[in-house]
Amino acid sequence: MKIKVTQEKLSKALNNISRIAIGKVTLPILNNVLIRVNKKKVSLITTNLDMAMIDFLPVSNSEEGVVTVPAKLLAEFISNLPKGEIVEISSSDTKVTISSGKYSSIINGALADDFPELPEINEKQAVTFKLSVEEFKNSLSQVIIASSNDLTRPALTGVYFNTYNHVLAIAATDGYRLAEKKLISKVESEVNAIIPSSSLQEVLRSVSDDVEEIEISFNDDLVRFRLGEIEIISKLIDASFPDYQRLIPKDCNITTVLNREELIRVTKLAALFARSVGGSIICETKKPDTFSVKSIANEFGENDSKIETTVDQTGKVNLNSRFLLDALNALEEPEISFSFSDRIAPILLKNKKDQKYTHIIMPLNS
Amino acid sequence: MYDVWKNALAEIEQQVSAANFSTWFQNTSLLSAEDGNIKIGVKNSFYVKQLRARYLEIIISALKNNNINVVNVEFEVSSSPKTKIKSREITKNQTSFKDRVKTLHLESKKNQLEYQNGLNDKYTLDNFVVGSNNDLAVSAAKSIIDAPGTRYNPFFLYGGPGLGKTHLVQAIGNELLKRNPNLKILYTPTSHFYSDFIEAIQNGKGKEFNRKFQKLDCLIIDDFQFIVNKEKSQEEFFNIFNDLYQLNKQIIVTSDRLPSQIKTVDERLASRLTWAGAFDLQLPKFEDKCAILRAKADLMGAEIEPEAIEYIAENVNTNIRDLEGEFSTILLMSEVRGLTPLELINNGSVSVNKISKIRPVSPKQIIEKVAKYFNLSVKEMCGKSRVSNIKNARQVAMFLLSKELSLSTNKIASEVGVKDHTTVMHGIKKIEKDLKLDFALRDQIEAIKEKIYG
Repeated sequence: MKIKVTQEKLSKALNNISRIAIGKVTLPILNNVLIRVNKKKVSLITTNLDMAMIDFLPVSNSEEGVVTVPAKLLAEFISNLPKGEIVEISSSDTKVTISSGKYSSIINGALADDFPELPEINEKQAVTFKLSVEEFKNSLSQVIIASSNDLTRPALTGVYFNTYNHVLAIAATDGYRLAEKKLISKVESEVNAIIPSSSLQEVLRSVSDDVEEIEISFNDDLVRFRLGEIEIISKLIDASFPDYQRLIPKDCNITTVLNREELIRVTKLAALFARSVGGSIICETKKPDTFSVKSIANEFGENDSKIETTVDQTGKVNLNSRFLLDALNALEEPEISFSFSDRIAPILLKNKKDQKYTHIIMPLNS
Repeated sequence: MYDVWKNALAEIEQQVSAANFSTWFQNTSLLSAEDGNIKIGVKNSFYVKQLRARYLEIIISALKNNNINVVNVEFEVSSSPKTKIKSREITKNQTSFKDRVKTLHLESKKNQLEYQNGLNDKYTLDNFVVGSNNDLAVSAAKSIIDAPGTRYNPFFLYGGPGLGKTHLVQAIGNELLKRNPNLKILYTPTSHFYSDFIEAIQNGKGKEFNRKFQKLDCLIIDDFQFIVNKEKSQEEFFNIFNDLYQLNKQIIVTSDRLPSQIKTVDERLASRLTWAGAFDLQLPKFEDKCAILRAKADLMGAEIEPEAIEYIAENVNTNIRDLEGEFSTILLMSEVRGLTPLELINNGSVSVNKISKIRPVSPKQIIEKVAKYFNLSVKEMCGKSRVSNIKNARQVAMFLLSKELSLSTNKIASEVGVKDHTTVMHGIKKIEKDLKLDFALRDQIEAIKEKIYG
């Protein structure tokens, strides 16, 4: 096996895929990256058995073969080499020689026999979508914040990709809040899959500026993302996602339009006083034109800020300030709508114009 | 069907490396095997691919060897049925923790009445928590279950009280019996062994006693250290041991120390007992203790916060029995007071580590007894001499002052007449370290304690 490639390209690829090569104690070969040259095609592969990352590295010169090398070590070695040099990696048996200009080293690799076979997407049965990377990245970031890391409820530790009424939407919830984004409005095929948030985080990290389109293919228990020369394969979570459409309030008694920046500022102020009460703040509408955010901390004092808006009906709701801030930061437009009914029904946050993104938060008991 | 898969796995285990086995085959299950259509449940699609690509042949041959008709093997992703958290049904007669404990007690009593082979089926390998403190012993135990009377024969297990010796050997017995109900197994504590023996001799039935043991396929003797000073019983045991060993029958012996450290045990016997190696159970580390408590909580169906578990694990440093005892107390208290365990701990209702033994002894008494035990005068011992036996006595005194009276190191320093507290700290640490390995020292300290309190 032999490849020749520029330091920048190799370093970028290795830094990206070596993140998931964090060894399982039980199978040390998972610490390694598999380098395979087959018919002039070079692939670098890592896996943690929940997902796999593959980089099809364009190289100038190659000889066939396959070997595995400790991924972190190789990534760090390559990234410390001078920029702009050509790196040559060659292997005989398990000895892997890396040379670049004046630098050279030999790393003890391992045979590729023990490296797991990776599952492949069955293209015939696959449901495939194409999206602009920019939109995918933004949408996913808006939704993934609401996913949970409570492993006892596996369904909530991922992002739910689902189709309804010919709309492809993604949603996530941790039981206290829920975020949904509609991605594509006219789709024919159907999909219902929960992708682990941890895999999606890796997808987000792998996005680079020079790739414009992302391709997502679903099988029954597998998903594949294609991002330029990078391919990410992940398991799906084998659980059923809550029927979340029912949770989104259909109509709310009280709706106000607020300036997003202003609401962020007053929420942050209120949060300072809400630390001792678990971040609980009180949002209140007062006729004719006041939206107030209040927080009380017995030992420090209290805070009461007002935003001017138009109010039709008075009401009051207690919220977790951190959840509210997360939601406000995920919204994009300067003006947003803040709707609620009473003190127990969830509140609904949306951009004023664009209706694709929905965020709901359960109120706190007051 | 489950057992068939277990057998198949046992066979596969011998053909692939340990790392590969534990990665790929753990948490697999046999979902169905109708008309030769085998369905195997695995964790996710990565496992499907790997098993199909690399291990299909091995799986098929292992299944065939277990008399399963194989036409087609399929893999299916199924979140492993074993690890799934079971939702708990509370039946009417098991509504409160107290009742549950009561029924547990009743059940165990019933079992005790029924047993003839001495085995209590509440001890199983499944509820034995494996950690770094006992993994060697457990893996040896597993290989005994797979092939009794071969590699680890006799199986000698030792360790301090309350670390699970009885549990592990009983579990071996139960598991062997489960695999083959026709096996003749006998579990007997050493005390029963010699009292039965004495009775048999008195009734002139010594030979029958011997014959009863010779028929066994597996003999489990618990707490062998009690054989001390029972020379006749020892001789009888030696004979039985030899007979069984000749016939390749499994012999399992537990003790709180190595045979060579049990006084008056014949050297011939001592060396025979450790022929196949001696396995020790050590004090669990913090993580192991947490795991034990969690397993216990699951078993009882009790709810307890992780923080509370950590608190108990951190503060009980004696043995697993004490650990479980504290745990049960706290659960009971939480049931009675209507607070969660963590709330109880936070409001100071329970304080695990403050169970100090208040006994009417003074530092002076301890120092005198230690000096006397080592044949030194108090003045000599508490002097500046650095002769090794005097120094050692001094360190034992410091150790006992600290453990028995919980004196501060400064106070101990002034009592024993050393320069400062760091010397004391060093002394105590040294004794603690030595205690782990040096059984003679353990005996010495026990003897001194007896003198102090006796």
